[in-house]
Amino acid sequence: MVVLRGFLVLVVFFLLGEAVRVLVGLPISGGVLGMVMATFTLMLRGRVTDELAAASQGLISVLVLLITPGVVGVFFIADQFAGHWTAVVVALVVGTLLSVFTTLLLMKKLTTEQARGDQHD
Amino acid sequence: MTDQPGGFNALLAAWTAGPMLSIGLTLGAFIVAQWLFARLRRPLWLPPVMIAALLLAAVVAASGLGFERYEAGARWLTVLLGPATVALGIPLYQQMHHIRALWRPIMVTLPLAASLAAFYALAIAWLMGAAPMVLASLAPKSVTAPIAMGITEELGGSVSLTLGGLLITGVLASLFVDWCARWLRITDDRIIGFALGLNGHAIGTARAFEISHTAGAFASLGMGLTGVFTALFLPLAFWMI
Repeated sequence: MVVLRGFLVLVVFFLLGEAVRVLVGLPISGGVLGMVMATFTLMLRGRVTDELAAASQGLISVLVLLITPGVVGVFFIADQFAGHWTAVVVALVVGTLLSVFTTLLLMKKLTTEQARGDQHD
Repeated sequence: MTDQPGGFNALLAAWTAGPMLSIGLTLGAFIVAQWLFARLRRPLWLPPVMIAALLLAAVVAASGLGFERYEAGARWLTVLLGPATVALGIPLYQQMHHIRALWRPIMVTLPLAASLAAFYALAIAWLMGAAPMVLASLAPKSVTAPIAMGITEELGGSVSLTLGGLLITGVLASLFVDWCARWLRITDDRIIGFALGLNGHAIGTARAFEISHTAGAFASLGMGLTGVFTALFLPLAFWMI
């Protein structure tokens, strides 16, 4: 019962997100809009109920289960992308290496700067 | 042949009349994958989602079930991705104090790094002559799956290709963060965790929780912020082009 009440809150926020997406005509999925609205609502309220925390934890822990059917599809669309695979693989490998490097370098620079700034304050 | 009593095809028809066969197979593969992953001592390059998908693909192809019929039933599970995406907002709220402590570096790095994560891959794929549909599928490659699937649908890409790209990106990010952090001599778990979540979404976040609790918290933060940022700006950027 407790988890169901939390689940209802998540479903209601999802439906609200869908409503905003359709009514405002935003090119963003209803789930994302619902997530943003849920986060802001919690920030305004200043606390999260146990039932909502339990329901969200439950869903997040089976996230892998929920995305698996989509991943299975990868093995059945291979021929659809014949000729694109080299581009896809090179883009993923080189692109990920570059973006990981950029993120680490930026964060390192900025946190050392902040630490130095804090000493001056 | 199809209506022969007791025949395999008749059984398959009865089982696939509802979604239960697909649900059962997916649940089974998920549980076996968790077990195998633990038995193999949690290899960085083979996360549970990859094991589960490989098992399912083999069963779906070998049994004659076919991907279309499997997917039709599995939709009963995938609809839950909607509320699951909303659920990501709760840990995001719970870690708000982490954002406050390190908000300046995070707020500068996030938009730059999240844009570059999409840009590097798109630029390389474009230079190599990939089709627009492939580009749309690769754009959300660093975003957590439920959000990425929504973005790809908005952009008109292929959800399956996106998920394949996501899987590869998550695994690669876990390896590359390890190498680059050593090379740049970074030992701060907050930075390592943030980079794992920003680039490697849920797979990177799972890896971060193996390093330390702080790394895990910052990975969830990086994953959540990248998801929101990319979901808000990528469709708008695509719109303008």
